[in-house]
Amino acid sequence: MNHPSPCHGRPGPVRLPVSTASQSPPLRVVNGSYGPYCVRYGRTRSVVLYAGVGLTHGRRGPEGGADVSDVLPLPTPVDAAFIRRWIRDAADEIAANRDYLTQLDAAIGDADHGINMDRGFSAVVTDLTAAEGLGPGALLTRAGSTLVNRVGGAAGPLFGSCFRDAGAELGDGSGAGAEDLLRALHAGLAAIQRLGAAIEGDKTIVDAFVPALAGFEKELRNGGALDASASRAAVAAREGARATIPMEARKGRASYLGQRSVGHQDPGATSTALLFGVLARVAGRSA
Amino acid sequence: MSEAASSPERRGTIQSVERAASILKALGRGSARLGVTEISEQLGLAKGTAYGLLRTLEAQGMVEQDADTDKYRLGPAMLQLGNAFLDNHELRGRSLLWADSLASRVGEAVRVGVLNGSTVLVVHHVFRPDNSVQILEVGASIPWHACALGRAMVAYLGEAEVEAMLGAGPFELLTGRTLVDPVELESVLIEVATRGIAVEDQEAIVGEAEIAAPVFDHRGHPVGSIGVVGPVERLHPDGASPSLVTAVKETGRGLSRDMGAGRLAARG
Repeated sequence: MNHPSPCHGRPGPVRLPVSTASQSPPLRVVNGSYGPYCVRYGRTRSVVLYAGVGLTHGRRGPEGGADVSDVLPLPTPVDAAFIRRWIRDAADEIAANRDYLTQLDAAIGDADHGINMDRGFSAVVTDLTAAEGLGPGALLTRAGSTLVNRVGGAAGPLFGSCFRDAGAELGDGSGAGAEDLLRALHAGLAAIQRLGAAIEGDKTIVDAFVPALAGFEKELRNGGALDASASRAAVAAREGARATIPMEARKGRASYLGQRSVGHQDPGATSTALLFGVLARVAGRSA
Repeated sequence: MSEAASSPERRGTIQSVERAASILKALGRGSARLGVTEISEQLGLAKGTAYGLLRTLEAQGMVEQDADTDKYRLGPAMLQLGNAFLDNHELRGRSLLWADSLASRVGEAVRVGVLNGSTVLVVHHVFRPDNSVQILEVGASIPWHACALGRAMVAYLGEAEVEAMLGAGPFELLTGRTLVDPVELESVLIEVATRGIAVEDQEAIVGEAEIAAPVFDHRGHPVGSIGVVGPVERLHPDGASPSLVTAVKETGRGLSRDMGAGRLAARG
């Protein structure tokens, strides 16, 4: 994304206090189309408005600028910066939990889940660092393709297709919000279920993903913002992952163990809970 | 969930033995520790009967009672029986060397299976020789339609048997790619019988593929199958890897000859 540089003096993006902003004289947008805005106010002072603060009651001025008379908080946008933060922090979280995930997998699988996920997400971060100018949907789609191509086992195809389809659904238009993210995540879940044919209770990713989206949606319908919705999703995903412990696996290699799969938490559901936990933290920080 | 225990009408069978067997099966699935009341309810037995059977099985080491909870679980004698089954299994015994050499030749995991009703019972499993941690799949039951091991055997059954297998649906969807349409499965079986090799692409587990060949006995009957299983990108990079197909086919033929199959029977 093309970040407009601050116009005068200030070294970087700063938040404009709403009280300051509502004072006259009118603020004037001098560049930027969709956040960050560079706003000039008074005679010499300028400021960059970053995600979380938006301009309302603007009037288009000459050269694409706008005169702005009020500044109000806007909902957190699900933009490229947001998706980048989610993926980068997810990679850190997976790396920190690599041994834990592998340990879970050793009980009911091939003990490679943590290693595969870590390798995949590091590859995603490396690849995305080099890729500039991508919109939020394109970022997710590209991350998904890297996971599919680089991660062995079932995790690569499952999480990769999830990201790919979520990215396609999210798209690269500006102004995506919590509602769009929910729709995208539903598309991601559908990809996982299309590929794996798993339903709730099979002791898979689905057992964390389904309650996470239900929690997200419930909070959103109750008027919650992105941060509250994502936080509710994270709690539900964690509970969903824990609820796989007494389940007998019906899909994947763990199902070969039959009864012996009981008593172990599913690694895929655990990874899913980690991803939703990071989503909640990123949404909370941007709000 | 009452099974044999409540239907003792089968001719020539002994009811108490059937009941004892159904107790063992009940302890072998579901929640593995059961109290007398749970067992008698599950199997539709009087509590006293269930208790007597459990005491008898306990004396034989086939079940044991948890000292803390008084619940019953399978006993150590069952492990000996399970091992004895594997040890005395002719195909398994003869497959050990073949499976080892196939695994080291192709660098992938190898499994040997036999048909048990509509599922493949894995009787031998050689780990992928890369020192990674893997779980032993001996004892796993995989629906025949979703794995190459199963297709390799079913394709060579008699016409009536094949028809019965295809008619025994509905077939379970193990992944989104599992073939479950009997008509499609039939054409897969015809192809297997033509090529002498069965393949499966992510139909049992996402990300995994399998290539298997049938194993015949001296009557030319498919007694089992042997196959390579592993990551789809290595086994089916662009259709089934020709070198793997050759290796699996040769192994199937060699093992069949060891099982007494004539040269004609060890076809494929």
